[in-house]
Amino acid sequence: MPQTYSRSHGLVPVESPVPDPMRLQQALARLTVLTQMKHDNGLTAAGGQVAQDIKELNEKLLSSNAQLAIVNADLEAFSYSVAHDLRSPIRQIAGFSKILLEEYGPQLPAEGRRYLDKVIQGAQQMGGLVDDLLHLARVGRQALSLQVTALDSIVAAALESLQPECTGRRIEWRIGALPSVACDRGLMKQLFVNLLSNALKYTRPRDPAVIEVAQMDHNGEQVIFVRDNGVGFDMQHASKLFGVFERLHSASEFEGTGIGLATVERIVRKHGGRIWAHAEPGRGATFFFTIPPGAH
Amino acid sequence: MTTEIAHAETEIDILLVEDNASDAELAVRELRRHKFANKIHVIGDGAEALDFIFCRGAYRSRSLFHPPKVILLDMKLPKVDGLQILKAIKGDAQTRAIPVVIMTSSSEQRDVIDSYQLGVNAFIQKPVDFDEFRRVIERVGMFWLAVNHPPPTDVFAPVAAELPGSTLAKHAGNAL
Repeated sequence: MPQTYSRSHGLVPVESPVPDPMRLQQALARLTVLTQMKHDNGLTAAGGQVAQDIKELNEKLLSSNAQLAIVNADLEAFSYSVAHDLRSPIRQIAGFSKILLEEYGPQLPAEGRRYLDKVIQGAQQMGGLVDDLLHLARVGRQALSLQVTALDSIVAAALESLQPECTGRRIEWRIGALPSVACDRGLMKQLFVNLLSNALKYTRPRDPAVIEVAQMDHNGEQVIFVRDNGVGFDMQHASKLFGVFERLHSASEFEGTGIGLATVERIVRKHGGRIWAHAEPGRGATFFFTIPPGAH
Repeated sequence: MTTEIAHAETEIDILLVEDNASDAELAVRELRRHKFANKIHVIGDGAEALDFIFCRGAYRSRSLFHPPKVILLDMKLPKVDGLQILKAIKGDAQTRAIPVVIMTSSSEQRDVIDSYQLGVNAFIQKPVDFDEFRRVIERVGMFWLAVNHPPPTDVFAPVAAELPGSTLAKHAGNAL
């Protein structure tokens, strides 16, 4: 039986959920023989063997799946508790550095104050990263609580929480009519917050920024999209878009942790939908996704 | 751990139950900066917090008539965790009226639900960002010590039939 290693850590060997192809082939060969024998009115022995093989393979498959589920749950619990336990120390690093700066700043030379600023910035960045990781882990851990919800209200709530990022900018919002879908409100808000804050971020060089949220018909399927006139990206790198920690821009160009879109993708997938993007460098990006209308 | 304790026998404004000394220091510092509370008592261990609240053990000379105006309670604590303490407070007629605010790093849905079902008065997630943390502490202090009207002390008259020792042992021993 081949072994695969969990991608993110490589620590825990798990039996592959895919049965050995050789054994599958053998089972199929017996099945063929069985069909012929049935044709010839002679059966039993080979038939019993096939049934036994299929039963064994099924059992293997079930136990591998159970093992994978356990390993996956362990990893999620691990990343959750690491991220969670990092929150206090990060707050303390930034907190005491700030207090130091406020209370003893005048006694420090300018260079010393600059170093402290760097410490504070680093801690703030780490804090953002940890919070993003917690959001991502929560998508995996939390059971969906589905309620039929008008997406307009979710978008409105998301926009409200993004107000601080809009101040001092000219932004043209084009919000179309959106459907009601059975979704987890908390996660759906997170999805729009992430997509819209991305749109806000990558349109920063634009005046005005144009951000559109609407619904369209795409090959008979209702698709929701978020479009911006920002810096876009090269479709050549599109496959990396939804991977954890993957970034298509340098941190000095656009800050970010590479977790936001991975979280969005997980939320869509958890609702039984699909997500994809289209973009062109310098000409903006559009994110499309589907959410099945009924309860999933 | 006892950062800046008010004398245990006297009335106190805030009981902060927090096992992380640095987090406690940041919170106490912020509360003092805004002069919301002069008398803050910090306890870093769940069992000791129960002794304090129910005036037992090292705290038996305290009076149940003078509970803190608010208890700020962390969830993860050594020996007895925050939810068990909450359950003990809200399950006892003598202490039920004390406002309890859970202040935790967790925002697990389960913890929020459990806390409210046990009768918590507020549930606050400590922000990781220090400036936000400051704002939250300032608001908590402002609300519970300046805006809120605390329960009058006669609410805390001991109930003869319900001795703290017996009920407490039962509550504290119950796993959630």
